[in-house]
Amino acid sequence: MEMTNYGLQLIGQTRRHFFDRCFVGLANVALGQLLSDGKMFAAGDSRARNPLALRQPHYEPKVKRVIYLFMAGGPSQFETWLYRPELARLNGQTAPDSILEGKRFAFMERFTKVKPKLLGPKRKFAQHGQSGTWVSEVFPQMAKVVDDVALVQSVVTENFNHAPAKLFCNSGSTRFGLPSMGSWVGYGLGSESKDLPGFVVLRSGEADLMGGAFMWSSGFLPTAYQGVEFLRSAVPIPNLASPKGVSIQRQGAKLAAIQDLNRMHEKEYGDPEIATRIASYEMAFRMQTSGPELMDLSSESQATLDLYGVTPGEPSYATNCLLARRMIERGVRFVQLYHTGWDHHGNLSERIDEVSMETDRPSAALITDLKQRGLLEDTLVIWGGEFGRTPMAEFRESVGRNHHIDNFPMWFAGGGIKPGQTIGEVDDLGFFVTKDKVEVHDVQATILHLLGIDHTKLTYRYQGRDFRLTDVGGHVIEKLLA
Amino acid sequence: MVRLLLTVLILTACSCFHLLAAAETARFSADQIQFFENRIRPVLRNKCSGCHNDKLPTSGLSTDSREGLLKGGNRGEAVAEGLPGESLLVHAIRRQGDLKMPPGEALADQEVSALVRWIRMGLPWPDPAPDRARAMEDPSKHWAFQPIRRPAEPAVSDAGWVRNPIDRFILARLDQQGLKPSPEAEKATLIRRAYLDLVGLLPRPEEVDAFLEDTRSDAYERLIDGLLGSPHYGERWGRHWLDLARYADSDGYNNDLPRKIWKYRDWVIEALNRDLPYDEFVIEQIAGDLMPEPTRDQVIATGFHRNTQLNLEGGIDFEQYRVEAVVDRVHTTGVVFLGLTLGCARCHDHKYDPVSQREFYRFFSFFNNIDELSGEYKNQAGRARAYEPIMEFGTPEQFARRDAIQAQLKAMREENEKYEELLVSRQEEWEANLDEEARAKLTPGHLAALKIPIAERHPEQQRYTRRAYFRQDAGHQERTKALATVGELKPDIPSTLVMRELPEPRPTHVLLGGDFLQKGIQVWPGTLAVLPPLPERENYTRLDLGHWLVDEKNPLTPRVTVNRIWQRYFGTGIVETSNDFGTQGTPPSHARLLDWLASEFVAQDWSLKAIHRLIATSATYRQSSRHRPDLRQEDPRNRLLARQNRLRVESEVIRDLALSASGLLAPKIGGPSVYPPQPPWVIIKNGARPDGSHERWPESKGQDRYRRGLYTYYWRLSPHPALAVFDSPDAMLTVTRRNRSTTPLQALTLLNDEGFHEFAQGLAYRVLRELPDGTDSERLDHLFRICLTRTPRPQEKARLERLLTTQRQEFGADPAETEEILSLAMPDGKKGQEEAVWYMAASVLLNVDEFFTRE
Repeated sequence: MEMTNYGLQLIGQTRRHFFDRCFVGLANVALGQLLSDGKMFAAGDSRARNPLALRQPHYEPKVKRVIYLFMAGGPSQFETWLYRPELARLNGQTAPDSILEGKRFAFMERFTKVKPKLLGPKRKFAQHGQSGTWVSEVFPQMAKVVDDVALVQSVVTENFNHAPAKLFCNSGSTRFGLPSMGSWVGYGLGSESKDLPGFVVLRSGEADLMGGAFMWSSGFLPTAYQGVEFLRSAVPIPNLASPKGVSIQRQGAKLAAIQDLNRMHEKEYGDPEIATRIASYEMAFRMQTSGPELMDLSSESQATLDLYGVTPGEPSYATNCLLARRMIERGVRFVQLYHTGWDHHGNLSERIDEVSMETDRPSAALITDLKQRGLLEDTLVIWGGEFGRTPMAEFRESVGRNHHIDNFPMWFAGGGIKPGQTIGEVDDLGFFVTKDKVEVHDVQATILHLLGIDHTKLTYRYQGRDFRLTDVGGHVIEKLLA
Repeated sequence: MVRLLLTVLILTACSCFHLLAAAETARFSADQIQFFENRIRPVLRNKCSGCHNDKLPTSGLSTDSREGLLKGGNRGEAVAEGLPGESLLVHAIRRQGDLKMPPGEALADQEVSALVRWIRMGLPWPDPAPDRARAMEDPSKHWAFQPIRRPAEPAVSDAGWVRNPIDRFILARLDQQGLKPSPEAEKATLIRRAYLDLVGLLPRPEEVDAFLEDTRSDAYERLIDGLLGSPHYGERWGRHWLDLARYADSDGYNNDLPRKIWKYRDWVIEALNRDLPYDEFVIEQIAGDLMPEPTRDQVIATGFHRNTQLNLEGGIDFEQYRVEAVVDRVHTTGVVFLGLTLGCARCHDHKYDPVSQREFYRFFSFFNNIDELSGEYKNQAGRARAYEPIMEFGTPEQFARRDAIQAQLKAMREENEKYEELLVSRQEEWEANLDEEARAKLTPGHLAALKIPIAERHPEQQRYTRRAYFRQDAGHQERTKALATVGELKPDIPSTLVMRELPEPRPTHVLLGGDFLQKGIQVWPGTLAVLPPLPERENYTRLDLGHWLVDEKNPLTPRVTVNRIWQRYFGTGIVETSNDFGTQGTPPSHARLLDWLASEFVAQDWSLKAIHRLIATSATYRQSSRHRPDLRQEDPRNRLLARQNRLRVESEVIRDLALSASGLLAPKIGGPSVYPPQPPWVIIKNGARPDGSHERWPESKGQDRYRRGLYTYYWRLSPHPALAVFDSPDAMLTVTRRNRSTTPLQALTLLNDEGFHEFAQGLAYRVLRELPDGTDSERLDHLFRICLTRTPRPQEKARLERLLTTQRQEFGADPAETEEILSLAMPDGKKGQEEAVWYMAASVLLNVDEFFTRE
């Protein structure tokens, strides 16, 4: 793998030795200290001085970090987590007017030209685990760990188009330009990692991720909090690789000169901002050196690789799940994985199998692996898409389902939650929530709550008002909590 | 009859109110008043008036008085006297309609029945005088709404320091605090500062020398005047204006399609360069199209409010997004010209400032009559209109050619439709005779559909099978190809988005809760009651709004404008919240200076350059930016300006400085946006080509690779990363103040990004080219003079000499290594050891904090 070669230059010399060599002759700089014990990020620093300084949560947190498995495109609940035998019985019948009246759908004309018909679930369900949770046959591995998750059947959202709906899940608003959840968390708690950003995004799947980098934007918060996308390439962090021909040693020599000149200037002008600049260059260089180590999976056992289904050197959702674990081990607080390919307007039967095969084993493996390493108890793992799909069929070449905002499933695993339960009820046709409706803002409030943040108190003043992730809504989902 | 008359009187003649009220009170018995006090007033006070009071009449309704209830709110009257069944209030508290009040828990049954009984009685209410007594304070007392009065220039401790009146106001405040201003910055710092602030480029070493050697007493003033006359001034300050205009080259929203509006960007640059007086600058942008016999430029200027986002997604209601655009225009107008967050009043009355929801929609109606996309549009046919109104800049020949091609296309399409009909009549035959080869080209979905008789297929299946059939037909293929070929011959006529009024104005309603479907009462164009009124007239248009914004009685526009200019020179405005001069904004640090500048601005006939000259030549501006230990306690945020501030320059200017240091800068002004290299990982929706290039990022070649940052094509959803990482605004909403963040990703960009890597090489070549026989010491001097406008201090020089020495050792004799580093194609560019070594030194200089900081 190319990235391994890239990291090779580090192997055979300890980090300390390496830095000593690069920073020969630095006067009065406790660089070693900066690198080893992270004093730079000691609590108590003001955010203005160091935006990533650790900050106290509002109350004792249940989890320290979050891995959010975002299933982009809107997975069909009827083939995954929502068992609807009645819908199977009514397969092929015209959908009752009562549920269609006054509703709007994406690609509306497909439902107005011809009255839509109900579509029975395309996959079989069975009960699993102590909890007896109904799981579709597309998730054989998840079925084995189903007692470790709390399933919420009753999430509702507001917008039926992909980009705004995804933004809503991430930023609490369907508008572009607001901070994403990971940014809010960074703003609220700071970063524990000396070598990596506090909020990292990984992507897999072939389909376009509509909405792009706005999903992990810091919006009006300082850019220090924005999510950093690690790429599916030999160069996982944007601009992480030095220009061609500039070896890491040479880069180090360049950096040492830059830092020396910056320090001389700091002495001359006395502006603390120069110290922040110096720190940002240190961090950049540490990312250049620690990034390849992070991405190098050669230290993982074959058993672990098999557990996730990772083929080394092949970018995949499985690789990303394993990288997510490696990141949280290294202090990254918020890891978000996007897997595209869930938008099944047509060809539902084939594509649901493909995409669940890509994601089932790695998702389950992540839970198992975190659990056996003792990390699950203070990590929150979340699985969900931006909306669900209609109980009615949509025809695009062959049958599929349209976007549906009135119920969709999410699951939660890890610290602070009560696993092995199903929250929320949906009517027999799978159209509306009948009990324990959960809004997207409630999900966000709950995630913040588990991190020790009161969602109503984490605010930022912008354009004349105080903004928060949950806008004016959000109630912690009490039933979910342990 | 009496009731009707009274209502009319109340509605139309509030000044008669006291007389009327007295008459009313007499109508009610003591028992009725008692009933009101015991049963009704507590309910109103506890359950209603929290949100609906005189001070904060949410949705226009106040429950503080009888006439408030009768007058009602944005949905019309709240109570019909004597008729509970027809009273909106009763419907709301019984939760019968869409309006359910109070929000949350419903009123108790006995409370509801008491209110019903009270309305039937005719709303008995005691003498309302006490209610009026505790009426709201006058919101117009807020400082920002007061007229601008030119303050006298204060006396100061050291008149010798003062260069113009600005300095008196600053020094007087420092005197109060017992602080002394900082000494003037070194001349070399001053020229760099002035270049960065006024034109956003580096001075060339010979320009620096000329300035340093110029011993005339007004050498500095001449420098400033020269820069104000530079065409690059319009680029530098134009970019500031584009932040406000939320300028971008794409639509935003899900599809983020490309748009053409760069002519507006060029108009801004040109208007600033010729110092178009600011009042005209504003009027032309708000309503240039409505001016008498407008010039083309005046119409182009109206692109200001066409920089709104545009949504062309499937399944949406275009009216919803048209309303969003109009809302954005109100919001932007409020922030940019009035420094008011009018947008807060979209869904409800402003919580803090005297802006009612109704006033918001009066403002809204000014911008509600644009002949732009609304309602539904069907697929491709509507797309041609999606960007209307536009102005086109073709030659008569181009237009004639386009008409001819369109006519030809139309004829071809008609012929094709006939042909398709013919094909359809033979579809069954085709399906029956499909051979294996033909079947292999079909998907399983097609094959499944083919099994169903044509008449019984789902329309969607029908569409798919028909399309597959057409695709396989040679005659159809030929026609499709011909259509595409002819279509490509259409001339690419430059155009730009502009404003144009509908012949019949759209009626404007208050939108309840801001929802475009929930129409409340109708409103007509108007401004804010707290500000001076529009002239008496029957109807108002955008042109009236434009004039009103820059009316000399309007106290906000001049204050807001000079404050923003000040902010660019000192990092922070006199009012720190430069977007918000309302009651929630920060109070001014130097209120009298702000008013003096505002009055001077108007007195100078709204000349922006006059204000620039005043500020840039003041002693305040010329101070050193060195931090002072004595100020750390006294004024940690430097609000009193006993020194200058150090400011990291904006994203575009970081690029411009590196470009001008490298000698690669292409100084061309204006024209279509360009595509300098960007990393391949940038997500741009769709359009990726197999060879790794991208139709949405056709990387520029030649000079266009090296244009200033403000010409980089701006995709709202995927801005160029080197701009985004340094806090370029996202162009979704107007921005008066950018963030100035410091992040590791910035360091990675400057160290490793392909563009900056090229600039460092260009700079190395430049140093070697300009001093072909120079020693290391001479070349380092030159490198510093190019980048930092000064020579290195001995310690700095020694440090870089050491870098040169070690790098000469590192870059041995292996030419492969140096050739790999030196990727930039330079005419006659050697790629040897010296070039590589100097690349290292050049890259260091482009990365030091001082390089991209305005001292």
